[in-house]
Amino acid sequence: MAKLTEEMKDVLKIVGKGGAVVHLTTCSADGVPNIVAERFVTHYKDEYILIGEMFAQKTKVNLNENEVGCISIAHPVKGHTWVFRGPCTIISHAAPANYKWHGIKAGEVLAEWGEWATKEPPDEVPPDIAPPKLAQRGVIALKVEEVYSYNPEEAGKRIL
Amino acid sequence: MGIELTPRMKNWIEALGVHVATATAKGYPTVMVADRCRVEKNIIRIPITARQKDQIAGNLAENKNVAVAPGQLGAVRAPYQFKGKGKIEENELVVDVEQIYCTKPGAEAGLRLDVMCYEKMKDFEESRWKDLIPPGAK
Repeated sequence: MAKLTEEMKDVLKIVGKGGAVVHLTTCSADGVPNIVAERFVTHYKDEYILIGEMFAQKTKVNLNENEVGCISIAHPVKGHTWVFRGPCTIISHAAPANYKWHGIKAGEVLAEWGEWATKEPPDEVPPDIAPPKLAQRGVIALKVEEVYSYNPEEAGKRIL
Repeated sequence: MGIELTPRMKNWIEALGVHVATATAKGYPTVMVADRCRVEKNIIRIPITARQKDQIAGNLAENKNVAVAPGQLGAVRAPYQFKGKGKIEENELVVDVEQIYCTKPGAEAGLRLDVMCYEKMKDFEESRWKDLIPPGAK
């Protein structure tokens, strides 16, 4: 288990609030990776990262068969060359409120982050890339077990 | 069979680099990032350091599947994902692109672009985005 630093928490929020767009990587059980950019991101408590689940397709299939993910800082980077890796899942809006996953409760997560587009609307996103409508289906949760650097000169070096 | 990237795809990832996902044969992923690359039709050539080579060589030895996404501002403005097979040639990761996906949030998220013919793929993106070259790129 890794505990996020305050600097990491400052970066793990939506870009409109000074955070960063991230890439989420998942993988099928037979080894085909999938990587997509995500805007709706936040840290949660000291060791989790949450992403709004709105249009995930392959990500969902992958997490249903292989519960692991990586989150890498994509834009703006500003020297934050981090990859967060650990168990990853989707907490669906259909999940019972008392469903527990790696120490977090579905009801608590969804009460705070289940209506993300209302809480943090994508006002900074240009119209040619913003979706016309947002329909959140749940929250993607990653429990941070390790953080490593993607700086090319120290790639893979463990930070946490 | 390799799929040729469009000029917009090429321009964005050559200028702003890529995030590269590899994995073990059992699906344990690793992400590597390069701030530039070179595209030749269906091939993405990504320069890698010795550290990066160490980071991904084990994965590629047992599993050649690779996924590539645009880096930096490209993560926002160039919503593509390239999937294919990777191999290390000296100081480069060479990816032969076999599938291209649109990852724009919304109804087109996950749309597979390479099943269109090349001209239709170009038309698709030119009808959506005017920035065929990223800001500041030559």
